[in-house]
Amino acid sequence: MQTPQFRHFGLMMSALLIVAMVLSACAPAAQPAAPAQQAAAPAPAMEGEWTLAKAAEPYKGTSINCVFLDRPGYRAAIELIPEFEAATGIDVNWEIMPYENSREKQVLDFTGMTGNYDCVLIDVVWIGEFAASGWVVPMQKFMDDPALADPNLNLEGFFPILLESFGTWDNVVYGLPFDNYSGVLFYNRCMLEEAGFDGPPATWQELMDVYGPALTKDGKYAYALQSRRGETQSADSFMRMIWPFGGSLLDENFEPNLTSEESLTGLNFRQDLMKYMPPDIVEWDHDETVQGLAQGNVAMITEWSAFNAYFTNPETSKIVDCIDYAVEPAGPVGPRPALGGFSLGVSANSSPEKQAATWLFIQWVTSEAKAKDYIRAGGVSGRMSAYEDPELQAQFPYFAPLVISWKEYGNPVFRPRFPEWPAISELIAQTGTEMMLGSISVEDGAKLLNDQIRQILDAAGYYSGQRPQLQ
Amino acid sequence: MSRQRVNWPAISLIAPAVIVLLVIGIYPLLFALDISFRQYQLTKQYLGTGYVGFQNYVAVFNDPLFWQSLLRTGQFFLLTVPLQVVFGVLIALFIDGVRWRPLSFLMRVLLVVPIAVTPTVVGLIGRLLFNRDFGFMNYLLSLFNIPPVSWLGEPLPAMLTIALVDIWQWTPFVALVMLSGLSMISQDVLESGQLDAGRGWNLFRHVQAPYLLPGLTAILILRTADILKLFDMVFVLTRGGPGVSTELVSVYIQRVGFRVFDMGVASAQAILLLILCIVLSRGYIRLFYREIEA
Repeated sequence: MQTPQFRHFGLMMSALLIVAMVLSACAPAAQPAAPAQQAAAPAPAMEGEWTLAKAAEPYKGTSINCVFLDRPGYRAAIELIPEFEAATGIDVNWEIMPYENSREKQVLDFTGMTGNYDCVLIDVVWIGEFAASGWVVPMQKFMDDPALADPNLNLEGFFPILLESFGTWDNVVYGLPFDNYSGVLFYNRCMLEEAGFDGPPATWQELMDVYGPALTKDGKYAYALQSRRGETQSADSFMRMIWPFGGSLLDENFEPNLTSEESLTGLNFRQDLMKYMPPDIVEWDHDETVQGLAQGNVAMITEWSAFNAYFTNPETSKIVDCIDYAVEPAGPVGPRPALGGFSLGVSANSSPEKQAATWLFIQWVTSEAKAKDYIRAGGVSGRMSAYEDPELQAQFPYFAPLVISWKEYGNPVFRPRFPEWPAISELIAQTGTEMMLGSISVEDGAKLLNDQIRQILDAAGYYSGQRPQLQ
Repeated sequence: MSRQRVNWPAISLIAPAVIVLLVIGIYPLLFALDISFRQYQLTKQYLGTGYVGFQNYVAVFNDPLFWQSLLRTGQFFLLTVPLQVVFGVLIALFIDGVRWRPLSFLMRVLLVVPIAVTPTVVGLIGRLLFNRDFGFMNYLLSLFNIPPVSWLGEPLPAMLTIALVDIWQWTPFVALVMLSGLSMISQDVLESGQLDAGRGWNLFRHVQAPYLLPGLTAILILRTADILKLFDMVFVLTRGGPGVSTELVSVYIQRVGFRVFDMGVASAQAILLLILCIVLSRGYIRLFYREIEA
């Protein structure tokens, strides 16, 4: 028989156990500490012509770990990796993770100094945070080492906007462009032709006034703008609609600019355009949007160029013969296509040997020599020379709008790259979705966001002069 | 005074469990308690990690989003747990009444299946079932000429969706606990109860229900803790959206802890949940727990 004291103790212990389980799910995994930035191991001087095999000789048997996503560019790299391993003896491992978890996992790895990842995946909007925190090694260390730097590295061979946005922070290169995107208008040419159009809309207004009514019928929709809460809402939906109408997140004085007439026009346009989108568009992520077009349910989408492989593969697309491409429609200030993508960097927490091996891999996989193979395998290279190949141009017709977007309309601050962006992105993701649902007006939402963004930037020291106004 | 003998065999048997409990349960709790009083922003290490007193707790108390998410969690609890208890009791009574043992056994096994599915998979299944264009739920509605519902794209349907999925997954657990309560009733008690109270509602109310109260208390405590930390299924299904309509408190804490990386504030939020959980558990025990006098 239980005594009252024992029962009391037992109940208390049970309650404590339960809450301990609640908390253990929420507790951080690691103690933060300033990461030690380690220099790359000095490699022996090379004799004769530089070759990858000779450069990799001291690191034979070294194993490096990369952060990859489940996207075509990474599958392309995985296809090429055996060639690198055979040439160098360096083992390249990769961990595929959802985009939404990739920053979290890497930040915990950096701050916990667990050194799980040597080859760091840097989204365009993380470069400021990763670089300013000292989590990635400046590439100059390796480029200055003749034993490690390929004489044909040719940084000028990257599209300038890609190297500048994805890999550079405060004039220092931390990563080389790897998985490179521009927003492109993907459209179902057959659907447009059936509706009497001989080409895609040139402007957003035309899309709304002419194409929208004609193509939205019988359960099919003229356009889909991926708007799920998260970076998809903040980058792909919210920011995409501000820029073509002359708006911006920050003005020239680094003040929030969402309540400007131009920004509000763009956001209100998005509200109006929703009548030509699927009703549950606020739950559409990249997958749903790509599938919407690939299955013939949506006539047009503005998506990252990297998703092209889905539309040209008969196993994943019903519109292989109907897919076509154009630059994103223009607003009153012209086209302002979305810019996004990832560079690869070297973790400051890795050992000097792993850092050197990682550099060799990054240098190789982003090189001009491998660019065409990477493209053929489904990747989107950042090397200009690859896009001049007539054979590839014929094979990949989306090259033309992609190159035009990068060369003529590329916007390096499409999303600010400072360390505060992730916090701001969270706020935009929430309020932006609420705007689309009508639970807050565009004007009130923009004002709320302006106030919140200013508070974040003020607390970070951008207005007191403690930090340079870089974005 | 005689020296008490140390029972080494018993200690050696219990010690591994206690050590594991201390390492994976108590240490994280104490760690979270410690950093809840510190400035602890992982991505802003230049700010340091010094003690800031109750500053994080004040920030939580002044954060309307935290309270809104907690209120939403309460609504979710009220939406799911009463239905789980009602359906769980009905299922348990039904299975208890089945006299053909193979069928009874099969039904008990089937009850375990939803519980055994990991929450992430449940979320993925939910995204397919409740998809507006090709989901099974809208297919069912179409059989009755009901237009498709944007289950995951509008606030109220989204909340109903995560509630339905939770009810699907956890009603069998409630049924199993209730079934164990019913199995404690001896045949003598049942027969004399039938003589005194008859069958049906009276029998349930006066004879069977008292045996279910200890199980009900356990269910309330466990489900409260479960719902306070419910994250995977909701995150996969709706990511807390659309807007904030399904942002339960655990999703919000994850956002603060692992998106903004403000671990100090996130830990303070978790400690407050701990206190809430203890208070609710004590309340359930006081209200519902009764020893059965055979």
